Amino acid sequence: MWLPVVGVLFGVLLGLLTGASVPAAYTAYLLVAVLATVDTLCGGAKAGLQNEFDDALFLSGFLMNLVAALSLTFLGEQLSVDLYLAAVFAFGVRLFRNIAIIRRELITRCKYRKRL
Amino acid sequence: MNSGAVKKTAVISLILGFLLTVVYQTTAEKSGQEISSDRWYKEEELRQSILQEQKENRQLEEEWRSLQRDVRAVEEEMAHREVSTFNLVEDLEKLRMLSGEVAVKGPGVEVTLNDHTYVPDGNNPNDYIVHERHIQQVVDELMLASAEAVSINGVRITRNSSIQCEGPVISVDNYTSTAPFVVRAIGDPDQLEAALELSGGVKDQLVNENIEVRMQQQSEILMDTVVGERET
Repeated sequence: MWLPVVGVLFGVLLGLLTGASVPAAYTAYLLVAVLATVDTLCGGAKAGLQNEFDDALFLSGFLMNLVAALSLTFLGEQLSVDLYLAAVFAFGVRLFRNIAIIRRELITRCKYRKRL
Repeated sequence: MNSGAVKKTAVISLILGFLLTVVYQTTAEKSGQEISSDRWYKEEELRQSILQEQKENRQLEEEWRSLQRDVRAVEEEMAHREVSTFNLVEDLEKLRMLSGEVAVKGPGVEVTLNDHTYVPDGNNPNDYIVHERHIQQVVDELMLASAEAVSINGVRITRNSSIQCEGPVISVDNYTSTAPFVVRAIGDPDQLEAALELSGGVKDQLVNENIEVRMQQQSEILMDTVVGERET
């Protein structure tokens, strides 16, 4: 259960050790990638709580979302239109919906346990 | 939740952690670039110095323009003055000639004054000889008729010459001479002669006072420079 937290810490450590940074021109890609990852995590948590978690869906969803978002950002850059905002918007909306579902799920579980 | 899901979530979490760190480092670098480097201050400084220079340039330009105005004014004044300067130089030359500072050569007249050869009996011989005032009269008249230089018996009259009567002789600047007295004047011969021959003028007066007057135009008279101060 603590493995995801350890993963985050390990990722941070990896980032600090490599000292990786991205040129200022590619911050949009980074932003979209972060959002896609957070979205995937929230989606996974939601699916887990609803007992609907599926390995293939989880990973494919992550990869597809990431590719789609990055492609959109790239296209936007070529057309000099901020198309990455579309990805940000989509991810944002889904993120909040997922968070709401997680919250509802947790609350119902708490009530269920109290009743028991 | 099965362990596979946890593992997968952990992998994604790792990616998230890595990405977040990259974001952090990128933004930190960017803001560090902006703040740590004193490029901004340098730019500000350079901008200030440019403004300063521009201001100075403008001032200097204004100064230059005003100086040019001055120069133009001076030039105009000089153009005006040139005419009067020319006149002044001419006047100076004339005055030099009069005062005997330069040698003068040119046409003129020669006036010879002599004592009357015949003194009737019972008359005062003093009324029949040339006096210094007669010579003075002639010289004055010649000067008035714009003679450029005058000499008496070869002694040039200068600005502070004196003509003295010493009995039978006359001394001009201590150069003593006797009759006949030859007064030479350089100038326009016609004008000088006409001035002396005015009716009731100098010649008539001299003749009335029993003096023999002879006038002659000369084509060329030379008068040397008066060197040094003469004893007067």
